[in-house]
Amino acid sequence: MSKSFEKYQKRRLQASYLSVVLSITMVLLMVGFLGLTVLKYRNLSGYFKEKVSITLYLKNNMSDKQQTELKKFLADKDYTNKIRFVSKKQAAEEFSKDIGEDFLSFLGDNPLKSYYEIRLKADFVNPAQLVYIKKELEKNDFIEEAAYDAPLVDLLTKNIKTIGFWLIVGASVLAFISVLLLNSSIRLSIYSKRFTIKTMQMVGATKSFIRKPFILGSVRLGLAGAFFASAILLGICYKINHKLPALALLEDVKVLALVVGGIFASAIIITAASAFMATQRFLRLKTDQLYF
Amino acid sequence: MSQPVLYLKNANIFQDNILILKNLDFEINKGEFFYLIGKTGSGKSSLLKILYGDLPLIDGVGEVVEYDLPSLKEKQIPFLRRKIGIVFQDFKLLNDRSINDNLLFVLKATGWKDKDKMHSKINEVLTKVGLQDKGYKMPFQLSGGEQQRIAIARALLNDPELIIADEPTGNLDPKTSMEVMELLNQIHKSGKTILMATHDYSLILKYPQRTFKVENGEVFEVVHQQ
Ligand SMILES: Nc1ncnc2c1ncn2[C@@H]1O[C@H](COP(=O)(O)OP(=O)(O)O)[C@@H](O)[C@H]1O
Ligand SMILES: [Mg+2]
Repeated sequence: MSKSFEKYQKRRLQASYLSVVLSITMVLLMVGFLGLTVLKYRNLSGYFKEKVSITLYLKNNMSDKQQTELKKFLADKDYTNKIRFVSKKQAAEEFSKDIGEDFLSFLGDNPLKSYYEIRLKADFVNPAQLVYIKKELEKNDFIEEAAYDAPLVDLLTKNIKTIGFWLIVGASVLAFISVLLLNSSIRLSIYSKRFTIKTMQMVGATKSFIRKPFILGSVRLGLAGAFFASAILLGICYKINHKLPALALLEDVKVLALVVGGIFASAIIITAASAFMATQRFLRLKTDQLYF
Repeated sequence: MSQPVLYLKNANIFQDNILILKNLDFEINKGEFFYLIGKTGSGKSSLLKILYGDLPLIDGVGEVVEYDLPSLKEKQIPFLRRKIGIVFQDFKLLNDRSINDNLLFVLKATGWKDKDKMHSKINEVLTKVGLQDKGYKMPFQLSGGEQQRIAIARALLNDPELIIADEPTGNLDPKTSMEVMELLNQIHKSGKTILMATHDYSLILKYPQRTFKVENGEVFEVVHQQ
């Protein structure tokens, strides 16, 4: 009889460990996902922002030397990411290809202008900066006009702001709920030991002595959860990378290390704090209050 | 006159703001054995809880093993309890570990470090209660009487100045009760101070000692007719 009782106890214990590890894994997975999205979000928004370009239409009568000088002038600007030069002739060829007709043959003269296309660095892509850059460039004697897609920039900036805002709100809410979930499952596992805790106090053990094994035990389960969460997260990243290589999920080892490190750090902090608070609660109760 | 192990003076004892015992005045000297008798609900456990720091002494003065009760700080309670051995009606063993580990826990928790000394101490107290060959068992593998003897062994680990027993035979049949009583009697004879709450008068008849009665919120000494 005692053997089956022991087995039963053991199975119950294992089940409670499993539920704690499971909920920690879920919490950490959430934390990891959010961390990864937030970190990668910068890259992602940068990726779109750096597609924005400003086009500088040049005056017709420029010497080669003047052109090289202008190019150097533009390349030295801190907002410049990449520069592409398109000559009058190239512009006409591109345009012909677009409309599917050699318009030069019936127009005779080429009305198009040579231009520089500047791809901007992500940090400079916002409405105010672009207005300023346009003004500054148009002061240049050789530039007839600086043009960019203002509505697109507006849209991009606004959307990135709202998406960013909701991402942070969502992250906070999810993290909060997850911690509550974990907290209650750790408290439940310690709750089942409340009489043990009380007895320990009766034989003269100090609070910190009683707390220590509970905290260590929870942290150990937390580390197991962190291990599973990291493995699952990396597995999912691997899969996504396979399908959407453009996101370059696996390329940035630093980000991945940061996320995994964050998962382990959160695991330790959250489980230790939660075990501390749970034991503290039962350590404070008087014997008669334990039966509720 | 020897220094009393404990005393209470003008003490009023409350549970949830309700006065349970009023105007207590008594003291116990080293080496004495006291019974505390009274009906269930009369306040015996409340009085004992005051003595081991599970209930604060709000009104009155008192001292237990050199700890001043009215000014007792939460931080001091573990150290007060190390000088007292407490035995409960429901044994209160740690059911998640073996007898040896139960005793080992107490030693570690109260600052013992030397492994050999701890093992010989455990062996010593188990021998004292006649259970030296049961150390490897789990609490639930022992009978009630055996579990209570283990609890008594546990109370002896730190060589306490006072043993408080709250109805130690309350869950035991009469024969086992007598065995446990015999054990407590031997421990008393070896020089220990014991305060024991009970409502089992047959024990008192068999092992007569000074007796305090708790009745109608008061505590007074009962004089035995010989
Ligand atoms: N935790 C508590 N809260 C409120 N009242 C209590 C509590 N414990 C005991 N009491 C009350 O105190 C009185 C004395 O109880 P107790 O000391 O346990 O008596 P005994 O040990 O003699 O049976 C009882 O009336 C009981 O209802
Ligand atoms: Mg009682």
